[in-house]
Amino acid sequence: MSLHKLRLAAAVPVTISTFSSRLFLKPFPNTLTLGLFSRRLQPRKPLLVRAFSASAAVQDIPATQTSESSVARPQWKASIDFKWIRDNKEAVEINIKNRNSNANLDAVLELYENMLNLQKEVERLREERNNVAKKMKGKLESSERERLVEEGKNLKESLVTLEEDLVKLKDELQHVAQSIPNMTHPDVPVGGEDSSAIRKEVGCPREFNFPIKDHLQLGKDLDLIDFDSAAEVSGSKFFYLKNEAVLLEMALLNWTLSQVMKKGYTPLTTPEIVRSSIVEKCGFQPRGDNTQVYSIDGTDQCLIGTAEIPLGGIHMDSILLESALPLKYIAFSHCFRTEAGAAGAATKGLYRVHQFSKAEMFVICRPEDSEFFHHELIQIEEDLFTSLGLHFKTLDMATADLGAPAYRKFDIEAWMPGFGRFGEISSASNCTDYQSRRLGIRYRPSEPLQTGPKKGKANLPATKFVHTLNATACAVPRMMVCLLENYQQEDGSVVIPEPLRPFMGGIELIKPKLK
Amino acid sequence: MKGKLESSERERLVEEGKNLKESLVTLEEDLVKLKDELQHVAQSIPNMTHPDVPVGGEDSSAIRKEVGCPREFNFPIKDHLQLGKDLDLIDFDSAAEVSGSKFFYLKNEAVLLEMALLNWTLSQVMKKGYTPLTTPEIVRSSIVEKCGFQPRGDNTQVYSIDGTDQCLIGTAEIPLGGIHMDSILLESALPLKYIAFSHCFRTEAGAAGAATKGLYRVHQFSKAEMFVICRPEDSEFFHHELIQIEEDLFTSLGLHFKTLDMATADLGAPAYRKFDIEAWMPGFGRFGEISSASNCTDYQSRRLGIRYRPSEPLQTGPKKGKANLPATKFVHTLNATACAVPRMMVCLLENYQQEDGSVVIPEPLRPFMGGIELIKPKLK
Repeated sequence: MSLHKLRLAAAVPVTISTFSSRLFLKPFPNTLTLGLFSRRLQPRKPLLVRAFSASAAVQDIPATQTSESSVARPQWKASIDFKWIRDNKEAVEINIKNRNSNANLDAVLELYENMLNLQKEVERLREERNNVAKKMKGKLESSERERLVEEGKNLKESLVTLEEDLVKLKDELQHVAQSIPNMTHPDVPVGGEDSSAIRKEVGCPREFNFPIKDHLQLGKDLDLIDFDSAAEVSGSKFFYLKNEAVLLEMALLNWTLSQVMKKGYTPLTTPEIVRSSIVEKCGFQPRGDNTQVYSIDGTDQCLIGTAEIPLGGIHMDSILLESALPLKYIAFSHCFRTEAGAAGAATKGLYRVHQFSKAEMFVICRPEDSEFFHHELIQIEEDLFTSLGLHFKTLDMATADLGAPAYRKFDIEAWMPGFGRFGEISSASNCTDYQSRRLGIRYRPSEPLQTGPKKGKANLPATKFVHTLNATACAVPRMMVCLLENYQQEDGSVVIPEPLRPFMGGIELIKPKLK
Repeated sequence: MKGKLESSERERLVEEGKNLKESLVTLEEDLVKLKDELQHVAQSIPNMTHPDVPVGGEDSSAIRKEVGCPREFNFPIKDHLQLGKDLDLIDFDSAAEVSGSKFFYLKNEAVLLEMALLNWTLSQVMKKGYTPLTTPEIVRSSIVEKCGFQPRGDNTQVYSIDGTDQCLIGTAEIPLGGIHMDSILLESALPLKYIAFSHCFRTEAGAAGAATKGLYRVHQFSKAEMFVICRPEDSEFFHHELIQIEEDLFTSLGLHFKTLDMATADLGAPAYRKFDIEAWMPGFGRFGEISSASNCTDYQSRRLGIRYRPSEPLQTGPKKGKANLPATKFVHTLNATACAVPRMMVCLLENYQQEDGSVVIPEPLRPFMGGIELIKPKLK
């Protein structure tokens, strides 16, 4: 009887391997169209574009691999709630469809089932091995002992194989599951770009009674921006700011900082070189064809595209006290983006550049508070841009325009008369627990649980994942486009909005320079 | 061969012509290779040196000026790392996880202090006629080389970007030098005087030992850099203007420092003369470099191709170049640190600490920090 069992045990790994490699061979839909897809988003490419992390699962997997060499051991694992996914699979599937995500839910569910079964099998074999070991402690006939020794050896070998398979299966499961995007807030419109809803509109387009210039022309005429020298020194989409534009950048950042600090945000400056694993954990894609991320030669480091990344990293792999929450930061950094794949009219001048200064807000809070803070963040942004006299609209971005991490995303688009259209100047995302599950940011609730089992350390409530949110307080080049184009005057000068003047030594006007 | 020739003569000439042509091709190739080799070795010849520069190593550098004296403390002092921790200003630990060693986050008043330092420095230097700029921080590696730095090589200070010929700048001097490269400027446009802000990135490969603690040696920092392009006869004047600006800035901040005329073995290849300022850092118990002002004469301009055309036509001698235009000459370039934020922060935190653990903000910076006079320990 035990021999029969052994044969069954021996048979199982073969089936699993074949099965998982079969899954592996299952063509991942839209592999080739992923690039096209991200390009389709380009015309209104949000400031904070994330390549769908689905591509992580898709692009790395060669079609003909067996399970042995299929997935490189990941450097890190997201804490994914597989059980929840399985119990809510209809909702997850609808969400994936609405977001045009490439995540393969069927693969995840199948792998999960297989994993559970394999785990049971491993546990069963372990139990058997323990039984054998127990039996061997008693008094036995030598033939019986020999048989048990043999049985023990076989069990051990099978176990080793099964445990290896289990590890591989878990890695595969992790790999495909990590590309499942965040769930979506029920109020988010379903659809593509055109489905985004306008939440608020402030101001109206200024009427000009003279022919207006775009920011590039103003930048040349007022000796504020130099793209030509930068093209020689660095390449296209780089620039020098000169004269009052430098003062304007500093005034924008200083003023923004002082306004946001009043709301209880802690100022920070951050590293701009980070390990690539941090970039991934935040939901971005350091490698891959159309990556937005610059990598450093000879290291595992990258340049950040937004301070959101080093901000997410501050508290990674930590357990915070509930009393420490919320943590609210406003961080300055330079940001670097390859803008690979970005083409068309939406690349002119300061609108799309490789390097820029940005002030970013970041909130870490309890799950029940994230909706509140999402509204706080968008309110802060709207107040800032209203104070500067901009005409803008706040959009509730539709499902197909959400990055994988965002549960809900509000973008603000401001009127840019030189372009004759609205352009994105900020984005505020509620990422709920998507990033925290990858970054490993938890908190321990203060109140002990009244009912239910107490897990974890004796008498301490179980830790939970925090929610994270991020929002642009000031993206300098986009703001500069708005200010230069909206505040230009017939004589070629540009008016400085009142709130910024004290931060620029009182300058009220950028005047044409005598030549 | 254009004349009338007998056919045997013509054949001989054709043969001779062919041989000459082949020899020429070979020789011309050799000439190109030789020129390349010559260029290659010659480019490593360092700039000449100002006659007043002391000859020798570190210990031979001469002290040009000393300002202030070390503050006397009647309580046990902390170094900037300790102050940074106690006042919740600097976080190296999180940065080590996120990025690696020698990276850091600034927090709270330290952020305001960095901005105040840069804002105040800008306003002071602009008064002297310097044009403010911000620069790209990613540049082509050829620009880095033309400025006299070494992008490749074992102990390079330079980070390179994967899959491109681009690097991160270690100082704004590089994109500043690049602005006017391969140009001919009018004499009337000179001098060009810039003050540029940028973040700077350095691998600090090969830097070891005690001089690496905390903010003293980091991979990324903010810096305000002055850059001058002028006529050769004016570079000595501007070298003194630059060092005077630096000394005025640091005196205003109440620092104790000495200005050194760096000895020959301590000059980088581009520098004709180099003045370093070292400020007293009580937490380290020694002086540490906070700025450097170099006169590179025509070393960088010969590589970057920055020339100017003198206004006055030459009275005597042959007129070269375009008809009636004087020949172009190479400009001289100079660069000087107006404010290297982390080193300044070390000085300010360590020198202005008080017994109760707070840090006084020097007066000139207060208006640029919303009037804050003191960084106080936070309640916990």
